[in-house]
Amino acid sequence: MVGLAVLLVGAGPGWAETLKVAQPNQQLYPNPDFASTPIGPVPVDAAVNVIQQQGDWFKVDYQGKEGWLPKTAFPQAESSKFSLPGILFGGPVKETKSDEVALAGKGFTPEVEAGYRQKHPEMKFAQVDQIEGYRVDSAKLQAFIKEGGLNP
Amino acid sequence: MIAKRCCQGLLLLILPFFLWGCAAGVASVVPAATIAAKTGYKAIQASRPISDSEEYYVGRAVAARILTKYPLYQNPKVTEYVNEVGQTVARKSPRPNVFRGYHFAVLDTEEVNAFACPGGIILITRGMLKSCANEDQLAAVLAHEVSHIAHKDGINSISKARWTEVLTTLGTEAAKQYAGAAGSLITLFEGSIDDVFKTIVVNGYSRGAELEADKEAVVILGKAGYNPGAMVALLEKMGSKGDPEGGIMKTHPPCSERLTQVKAQAKEAATGKMAQVREKRFKELKI
Repeated sequence: MVGLAVLLVGAGPGWAETLKVAQPNQQLYPNPDFASTPIGPVPVDAAVNVIQQQGDWFKVDYQGKEGWLPKTAFPQAESSKFSLPGILFGGPVKETKSDEVALAGKGFTPEVEAGYRQKHPEMKFAQVDQIEGYRVDSAKLQAFIKEGGLNP
Repeated sequence: MIAKRCCQGLLLLILPFFLWGCAAGVASVVPAATIAAKTGYKAIQASRPISDSEEYYVGRAVAARILTKYPLYQNPKVTEYVNEVGQTVARKSPRPNVFRGYHFAVLDTEEVNAFACPGGIILITRGMLKSCANEDQLAAVLAHEVSHIAHKDGINSISKARWTEVLTTLGTEAAKQYAGAAGSLITLFEGSIDDVFKTIVVNGYSRGAELEADKEAVVILGKAGYNPGAMVALLEKMGSKGDPEGGIMKTHPPCSERLTQVKAQAKEAATGKMAQVREKRFKELKI
C-alpha cells in the first residue's frame, strides 16, 4: 500500500519528468507568456525537469533556475501524449494525439475554431493555413540579412 | 514526528486525487474540473487574460474573414520577399516570439492598407507594396504592423464584457464537459472576431495606439539596421496623395499628425552601399 502510494505521489505535483530540449533558440521565460522578458537561453539537448504544465507551456527547472518553456521545445512530448495528470490543470482530461490536451480548459481552442468554421464555411481558413505554411529558411534569412547589411 | 504524521495525513488526503489523475490516462474523458474547482482553479481562470494560444485562434479567424474581402496574392517570389523583410523586423520587436510565429502575406488589391491579425499573421495589400519606394519603407510598414501585435492592440479590442462572459461560461458546470459549453463559446468566439475585425478593418485602432505603433516601428527599424527615416519618407508620400475614401487613410490618424511625432524621433541613417543593395532587390520584385 505504501509502495503504491509512493508510486502515485510520484505522478503528482512533487514529481518531475526529465525532458530534453529538442528545438534550437529556446528561452526560459518567467511566465508562460512569450511577451515576458526571457530569463536566459536553454540550448538544444539541455535536460530540464518538468514541474508543471499549463496549456502550451511547461514549468521547468533548468540548472537550478525555474521558468517556463513552450511545449514546442519538446516535439517528443507533443507526439508521445506526454501530459501531466489533468487534475493539476483543471481541464477535461482526454487521451489525444493533438494539442487538444494542452489547450483543454481554455476558452478559444481548436474545437471552438472547428465549430466556427462549420457555422461559417465561407471563411477562407484554407488560405490561412497556406499563409502559415510559409516558412523562411533560417540560413536563407541570415543570408538575406547579411546581403542587405542588416542586423542579425 | 509531527512532520512525519502530517506527511502521512497529507498522503492519505491526496491519494484519491492521484488515483483519479492516473485513471485519466485510460479513460476517454474525466471530469477533472470537479476537483479543479475545489483547488481554486476557477478563481484563477476567472481573472485571467486572453492567452497566446487563444489570441492565435482569434487571429486565424480574423485573417480568414479578411480573406473573404480581399483575395490572396499568389506570387511565391513576392510572398517570400515580404516574409524575409517581415521576419527581419519581427525579431527586433518587443515581442519576437508569438504562439506559432509571425507570417506575412500579400492581398491582391490596389487598395493601400495593411492588417495585423492578433497572434502573428500580417497582411499587406499589393497597393501598399506599390506605395513603398524601397525595402526600408516596406520594413517600416511591416514594423508598424508587428508593433500592433507586440502591443496586443488587436486582441485587446475584444470587449471586456465579452471576455468576462467567456470566462463565466468556462466556469459553469456545463464547461466540465466541453460539449456543454461549445455553443456558447462558438457564439462568443464569433463576437470576438467581429470586435477585432471592426477595429482593424472598419474603424481602426485608437489614435494613441497608432502613434505608439509608429514610435515602436521607428525603434524596430533602427535595431534591424534599416533606415528609421524610411518611416518619415513613407508618411510624407502617403500624405501627399491626399485622403482617399477607403484603405489606410480611413482607419489611421492623419499623416500630418503621425509625421510630427515620427520626424522628432527618427534619425535619418546614412545611405550607403548596403541601402543600394536593398533598393535593388526591392526594385527587382515584380509586384
